[in-house]
Amino acid sequence: MRYYLWSMLLLFPLSGFSQSSIGSVTGDESVFYAQTKQVNQFFLRFNGEEDVQGNKIYAGSPGYRDLKSRKKYLNMLFDNSSPVINSDTKFVFIDDALNKKNPAFLDFYTKGWFAEVAASFLYKKEKVNIILYLKIEKQHDGYKWVISNVYFDRFQSWFTHLNDTTNLKYFIHPMSHELDFMNLHKAFREPENLDYYFEKEYQPDMTALFVMEMKDGNLSFVAVNNVKFHVFQIPNWYFELSWFNRNNVNSGWLISNVLRVNDKEKRELMRHYTHVN
Amino acid sequence: MRKTLSLFILASLFAVSYRAAAQDVLSPQRKQAIDSLALEKVRDLSKYISIIGDKKTPWSDAQRVIERASELFMENSEIGVSSLGKQDVNYYKVRQYFDRLMQLNYDRVTIDWYKIQYVSDLVQQPDGTFVGVITVYQRFQAYDKEKGLVYEDTTKKDITVYVKRKETQIGGRLIGFWDVMLGDIRVKETSK
Repeated sequence: MRYYLWSMLLLFPLSGFSQSSIGSVTGDESVFYAQTKQVNQFFLRFNGEEDVQGNKIYAGSPGYRDLKSRKKYLNMLFDNSSPVINSDTKFVFIDDALNKKNPAFLDFYTKGWFAEVAASFLYKKEKVNIILYLKIEKQHDGYKWVISNVYFDRFQSWFTHLNDTTNLKYFIHPMSHELDFMNLHKAFREPENLDYYFEKEYQPDMTALFVMEMKDGNLSFVAVNNVKFHVFQIPNWYFELSWFNRNNVNSGWLISNVLRVNDKEKRELMRHYTHVN
Repeated sequence: MRKTLSLFILASLFAVSYRAAAQDVLSPQRKQAIDSLALEKVRDLSKYISIIGDKKTPWSDAQRVIERASELFMENSEIGVSSLGKQDVNYYKVRQYFDRLMQLNYDRVTIDWYKIQYVSDLVQQPDGTFVGVITVYQRFQAYDKEKGLVYEDTTKKDITVYVKRKETQIGGRLIGFWDVMLGDIRVKETSK
């Protein structure tokens, strides 16, 4: 613990911030210096592209992506109070990420990371929670965040019978074509059972439902409640990035979960969230 | 006159031939120069906020400062505010936020800014404008005549900064320069 505090002070000195400042409050700012204030800063600290005073280190400059500095930084980019991150996993993750022959870096502009935004909406005048998944997409020479998927439990509840192989009651019989499908009206008479009649590969498009409900005026945005990020850019690893608002040096954007996953598991996880095939 | 002068200074700082200006690439040196400009705007904003919140500022002066502060922002900019106790974020138009700040019902208010600031990278949007975020920390204290200090908080302010290429004619020459405007601000109360 003492070693930890000491290294924090070495990394984030209380004075000597090189840029001109806007303020005059003379209180202890060590928490703010240590805090990973922006996701951008998390990326720079992870990659060893920022000095201890928060100034960017550009390619070709001394200290750029220095492995020793990265090791110190990476140790502090974890939520130290997390019950799901054990010290062995953390050690192996750092060792893998800082592999001397092939160190791993994060890149804002490339695939392999996305945002999970928990937001509140009004759905038919009732306050509800909806999760939006967003990813970075290139357009012309610039970039933008785009919505890649939506999760709303109400939408999910409309499709509880999909792929139900135990159902022997709700189906359109195989000779219906000879009757010009006149029996379809029976299938549509009970909308609650409609989802029994879809092909087994059918995947409902939640984003389309979201668009429809928004455009029909049934759904309106209220506020963003929470944001976190899922990162798949480190070979053989997945980690989650969350905001920790607390009054100590282990605060700001920190790794809140880390899992060792192979490429297949990564693809599954990403597909699950973003619907990318 | 003041606007023309500052435009001229801006143009002189970042004067490049128009042909070169067409390439919207930010070198580290140019990024640092733009960061300074953006920080200057944030510094102006911080001064204006302190004046608007100060109970000793006469109403007419506060109105003038609100006008000046609003000019720092892109049209339709909003301020999203959250506190420790509440999950939801309240969104205000910039003007509305300043009006609320001016009308706070305390006998005395002090607004101070911590020395720390953090400037993000600048990322290009599809329309060619660059966007970044500057993070600053503010201490707010409110006093009652009889009870003394009645409310205190420290907030983290993440301020959007837009950097756009513009051009102007000076002495018959077309000069390209970078213009900096502020955008949406996210205000989060920090843990006590």
